[in-house]
Amino acid sequence: MHAFFQAAHMTCRLPAQGGEHTLFDDLEFSMDQGQIVDLVGPSGVGKSTFLMGVAQLDPHCTGELSLEGRDAGGYGMRQWRVLVSYLPQSPMLIGATVADVIRLPWRFAVRRQALATSRRSRAFAAARELVTSKSGVVYGPDDDEIRGALDDLGCADIELHRPSHDLSGGQMARVSLCRTLLTRPKVLLADEVDSGLDDDNAAKVAETMRIAAQRGTSIIRVRHRAPDGLADRIVTLSEGRLL
Amino acid sequence: MSSGSYDIDLLGLAVALCMAAGAALFSGLLKLGVGKSLLIASCRSLLQLLAMGLVIQFIIKSNNPWLVMALAVVMLCAAVQITLARAHGIPKGLAFPVFLTLAVTMLFMVALVGELIIRPKPWYAPQLLLPLIGMMLGNCVSAIAVAMSRFYESMEERRDEIGTMLALGASPWECSRTSIVSSMRLGLLPTVASLASSGIVTIPGMMAGQVIAGGDPLVAAKYQFVVFAAIAALTLLADAIIMTRIYRTCFTDRDQYRPWISRTSSKA
Repeated sequence: MHAFFQAAHMTCRLPAQGGEHTLFDDLEFSMDQGQIVDLVGPSGVGKSTFLMGVAQLDPHCTGELSLEGRDAGGYGMRQWRVLVSYLPQSPMLIGATVADVIRLPWRFAVRRQALATSRRSRAFAAARELVTSKSGVVYGPDDDEIRGALDDLGCADIELHRPSHDLSGGQMARVSLCRTLLTRPKVLLADEVDSGLDDDNAAKVAETMRIAAQRGTSIIRVRHRAPDGLADRIVTLSEGRLL
Repeated sequence: MSSGSYDIDLLGLAVALCMAAGAALFSGLLKLGVGKSLLIASCRSLLQLLAMGLVIQFIIKSNNPWLVMALAVVMLCAAVQITLARAHGIPKGLAFPVFLTLAVTMLFMVALVGELIIRPKPWYAPQLLLPLIGMMLGNCVSAIAVAMSRFYESMEERRDEIGTMLALGASPWECSRTSIVSSMRLGLLPTVASLASSGIVTIPGMMAGQVIAGGDPLVAAKYQFVVFAAIAALTLLADAIIMTRIYRTCFTDRDQYRPWISRTSSKA
């Protein structure tokens, strides 16, 4: 019986002077659908690298990954990242307005292809219908859906057409989270998403993740805050081993 | 043709060289730090130009298509070397894409400007093709060098942005597009500027040369326009080819951004 998500033999070797430096070697990790797992450990131990390796974003990481019993190789690189989505620590908002920023993922070919095949394949529940707005035909969630998602994250004060560079650091982090959540990934890899937020807003982010997990998204969180009681499991990465 | 032309004698060359030497001396006094290289570059350019003049003279006399092609290939190889030396912060191993780009552009130049617009007889007329190839290569070398430097610089600046885009399912092409557009624009700027200012602010080199050598100014103007238009189009083509050849070097074959790309520390 396969776990919903599995990572086996995860290894990261960084090039170093006079050879290689092994950050971690032969790690095993698995989780069920809708679980929240916190990944903790000292700084610089490779938590972010592990998440990036799981999303196949780190060129130094190798391992055997599978989702819903299917090997990562069977998905293709971009489809894998659509389904197993890494949310970086520093929010990077690309687009003129908040709405543009949030609709960015739907401008990529991988989701347009998914849109074309969504009726045939259940793997792409994240694909959306075309939305017509005042500015013409755009891909992605409509304004109401974005509004609702932002409100849930405690961003009622962020207008959709506000210039994205006007946002504060905490607001940027939440808009970034909102963007990834709306793509409905099967596995969310959240890298210190709540680190720049006050307790109140961190609680809102946690609540949003709880709802996402209830809807079936499995979430791995790298956190430095005190445990918030949301995680089904807390895993420690230390000296290259998962405990 | 030589009826209206004025040759430059040795004294003339010496005076020109003295002007460069004077400028070098002046810059030495001002401690600009370019005096020595200015002098060396002046002497080098005099020798190179005279040598090129002799070679072209020989090839025009011999009127042999193989010799024309051989010189074109030599110019092409030199252009590749100069492009790689002039571009800053680019990874190693780009000689082949640059060669391919310049070769394709050169073939287009010969086919379109030579055989379609001017239609010389014989088709390989050295006095036409060699200067055309030289002008085209000169422009493409600077455009490609600027575009490549800017591309790698821009990709490095956008590293976090690219990481985010990849994480959201973007392809390497989608990640690179912003940098490709800005690099191509920068590579094309001088060409567009020279198109717009020609005839009003400047009499471009080729037209000036033809007029000084006693050619009909109207014919010279037509030639100049054809060359400018062709260079504008071919510079864009060259930029487009080199970008499609090199953007992938920023990514691994698993579509991961490659931050440790080895850079050459070349100087201009």
